[in-house]
Amino acid sequence: MQAVLSAGEAQALERRAAREDTPNRSPRKGFFTDTTICIGCKACEVACKQWNQLPDDGLYFSGMSYDNTVALGASTWRHVAFIERPLTIAPDGATDVSWLFSSDVCKHCARAGCLEACPTGAIVRTEFDTVYVQPDICNGCGYCVINCPFGVIDRRQDDGRAWKCTMCYDRLKDDMQPACAKACPTDSIRFGDLDELREIAQLRVSRLQEHGVDEAYLYGADAASQPGTEGLNAFFLLVDKPEAYNLPPDPVAPAKRVKDTWKSFAMAAVGMAAMALASALSSRGTRA
Amino acid sequence: MTHSDGRDIDTAMATLSGEGAQQVVKNARESLRQAQPKPWEHIPGSGGEDVTYYGLPMLKESVWSIDIPIYYFLGGAAGAAMTLGAAVQFACGKSRELRRFSEICHWTGIIGSTLGAAFLIHDLGRPERFLAMLRVFRPTSPMNVGAWILAGAAPSAIATGMLIHRDGWMGAVGEAAGYVSGVFGAGLAGYTGVLVSNSAIPAWIAGRRWMPVLFMASGATTATSVLDLFYEGPAGSRIAMLFGTAARSVEVAAAVQVERAAAEVPIVAEPFSRGATGALWKAAGALTAASLALTLVPGKSRRKRQIAGVLGIAGSLALRFAVHYISNASAREPRASFHQQRKK
Repeated sequence: MQAVLSAGEAQALERRAAREDTPNRSPRKGFFTDTTICIGCKACEVACKQWNQLPDDGLYFSGMSYDNTVALGASTWRHVAFIERPLTIAPDGATDVSWLFSSDVCKHCARAGCLEACPTGAIVRTEFDTVYVQPDICNGCGYCVINCPFGVIDRRQDDGRAWKCTMCYDRLKDDMQPACAKACPTDSIRFGDLDELREIAQLRVSRLQEHGVDEAYLYGADAASQPGTEGLNAFFLLVDKPEAYNLPPDPVAPAKRVKDTWKSFAMAAVGMAAMALASALSSRGTRA
Repeated sequence: MTHSDGRDIDTAMATLSGEGAQQVVKNARESLRQAQPKPWEHIPGSGGEDVTYYGLPMLKESVWSIDIPIYYFLGGAAGAAMTLGAAVQFACGKSRELRRFSEICHWTGIIGSTLGAAFLIHDLGRPERFLAMLRVFRPTSPMNVGAWILAGAAPSAIATGMLIHRDGWMGAVGEAAGYVSGVFGAGLAGYTGVLVSNSAIPAWIAGRRWMPVLFMASGATTATSVLDLFYEGPAGSRIAMLFGTAARSVEVAAAVQVERAAAEVPIVAEPFSRGATGALWKAAGALTAASLALTLVPGKSRRKRQIAGVLGIAGSLALRFAVHYISNASAREPRASFHQQRKK
């Protein structure tokens, strides 16, 4: 195992070992999904369903490559996207299809739209810095559904509550890694301390670029690259535009944008009250 | 026993204790809100610059039923009526007619807010947990703020309606409650505009500067339209005419502003002009404009006022439904978000 690690990765592991002895080390946990080594096996989808005991999604043929789960939803907490792109394979212009695979998941945003919108406080941030929906409190108002800039969380209609990836909160509490990361045969899904994952991810990008994969970049790795969410606790390494993976190019937590809306609201309220008063006062002298 | 709810778990072999184990499945096949795939003609990834993932939605559509636009309508009318009622209560002096007018406003507020609350609770996935809305105060959530506003508006309106005509201290309490409901009413009429703007839906985000104005004006239009229909009396009619003219004018103008803001990104504006959502949006504008025109026609004919009232109510109701369905159309189009975020 150690043999296949680069010098940088080995260093990162050493740093991790050192950090484990430090009592105040960062508790922030996350996923780093490296799509370049995903093989599209869907072991993550299966492991997630199995561990979390989620019902199936209807099992139908979508016709869209090998993607049969289509999107994340109330009972689909990992979703492998299959992106087919035309690829020129010979100088005479002959083309074939190239495949990209990406295991999508809830991003557990640093500024989470769902959490900020939740009117009941059912959605909370855990001690691992993940975003968790408490099923015993959620009253199914559905506001989080339209507040997720990634379209992740959904309400299951017959259950009545909103559901999404918990980052295997139950496993984390027992010091285990989430089921999807555990099951991933290529380590495309990595789980760990967020700052450490960022180091590994950065090394992986530079390594890919050294090998000529210039289009490799990190999606949502930190607040600097994605200010709207202030960084994702589950970030990705991609090799095409975010749109190709059905990811938004510049997602923003909705509450970050509504300062002006509240101002309009205040002005409209004062305006309406003033108009009501003016109408009332102007009619004072009118006699029946 | 093996669960046949899509879990295939043999309870003799395993216990249902996973994070998703409590998810209720009543009809495994029909209950899922999964995006349905569409047939495609070319290799999907080859969209060039304007690439999407098989044209599938990037966002989730809202799960709200028609209960919610009906609530916007009822809550808006109730809120505006409470504010107008408080204003008239303040200005009426000893005029018996205006006291009655003010009471009718308060009762419009009572009926609208309690009926609205019923629709709101009915739409919840777990209606029995509606009080969970009040277990926290969360300023980042307009829905939470709105729940508190509604929790202040409806009881204060009810107290006003019950007590204001009494003598002595009870009448004084009713009087005070009337002013309190006037303040909460303004909030009730407009917070829903903030609620829709605070979302990831491209069409709603685009119009966010004008949404509260539009919602509040629409509420005021509905409230005065109700008065146009049911109220008779010279001073009160004049108030309804003045307030209603302002409300209808602002509603028409704010709708134009919302659409103009959306038009900054062409694909975001599409639901405002195309298809059923576009037709509904345009109908709303036309009905409100017609109601405004009729209100401005001189004369005190009762029939004229009633027709203006019907048009105003129809316009506001169409507007609420248009806003609701436009959001779903907007969520279904992934390029609306993509273009908006790349400022195309």
